[in-house]
Amino acid sequence: MSLIIKGFMELGLGAEIIYSFVIIVSSLMIYFGTREIYELSSYKGIKYFRRAFLFFAIAYFFRSFIKFILLGFDSWEIYSVIPGRIFGAIAIFIFLYFSSMAIFYLLYGAMWRKWKGDKVKLVILNFLAIFIALASVLFVNRVVHLAINILLLLFVISIVYIAHKTKQDNSRHNNFYIIYLLLLIFCIFNVLDILIPRFFQGLQLFGYLVSSGIFLIILYRVIKKSGR
Amino acid sequence: MGKRGRLEIIRDILAIIRDNRLIKLTPLLRKANLSSRRFKEYFGEILAKRFIIETIDGKNEKFVSLTEKGSNFLEQYRAIISFIDEFEL
Repeated sequence: MSLIIKGFMELGLGAEIIYSFVIIVSSLMIYFGTREIYELSSYKGIKYFRRAFLFFAIAYFFRSFIKFILLGFDSWEIYSVIPGRIFGAIAIFIFLYFSSMAIFYLLYGAMWRKWKGDKVKLVILNFLAIFIALASVLFVNRVVHLAINILLLLFVISIVYIAHKTKQDNSRHNNFYIIYLLLLIFCIFNVLDILIPRFFQGLQLFGYLVSSGIFLIILYRVIKKSGR
Repeated sequence: MGKRGRLEIIRDILAIIRDNRLIKLTPLLRKANLSSRRFKEYFGEILAKRFIIETIDGKNEKFVSLTEKGSNFLEQYRAIISFIDEFEL
């Protein structure tokens, strides 16, 4: 049995490396590729958009770190890895904090005009990200993890819906909100994949392919639009 | 015509300076079609970002002209707006 698990994880190592590489490199290319248009325009929406992808890169770096700890200790769950427990907890905290911040910054980037650049909301979202990361580390319970992520998903869907409706009213919209929604949903998929490792068993490869596809579509559109 | 956005106003001011090569502040304010308070605000911003440069001639008169960075902004303006629209920012 342990051989089967080992075989599966070894098979997954290549996929994990490629997946992490695609996401981290795409996110960093989006971040650095938009530097010039941000420096020229100082436009706040672009600032939050860029930061979201910087946070995605950091979050996925720590996600890979967690996956490699699991692989190193031949385990499914970070908390069952006794020697890696403290590193695992720190990595999970950082991963969840930056994943949540990436989601919130992407939402804030789409909503900042409606929210009139209200910095208080950004501080609240920052505290919410810290709360999500802390709660996930302190309560090692699948129900708690699932509940937090379902609430996060509902929050994301409602904000994307409001953002889309607002843009529709202003007749200044395209269908990019679908890409945003998918990106945010798959970001939550990645969080659950770490917190509840066998939750998406069998769907993991599909999830990786779709997530990579979404990041590559965004990267393509960024390169096309920014001319970088 | 709707209210101009921040980037559009900056583009308009820079385009006036580019078209005139060297321009004094008073005609620039008039052509920019802004209140003096708002003009001061935008002028301060584009000066701080080094989109323009101030020069003083022999008669002690102040002129402004476009820098390379300012020309770059004008070249990239469409791309910036298109980017903002594309990503619904």
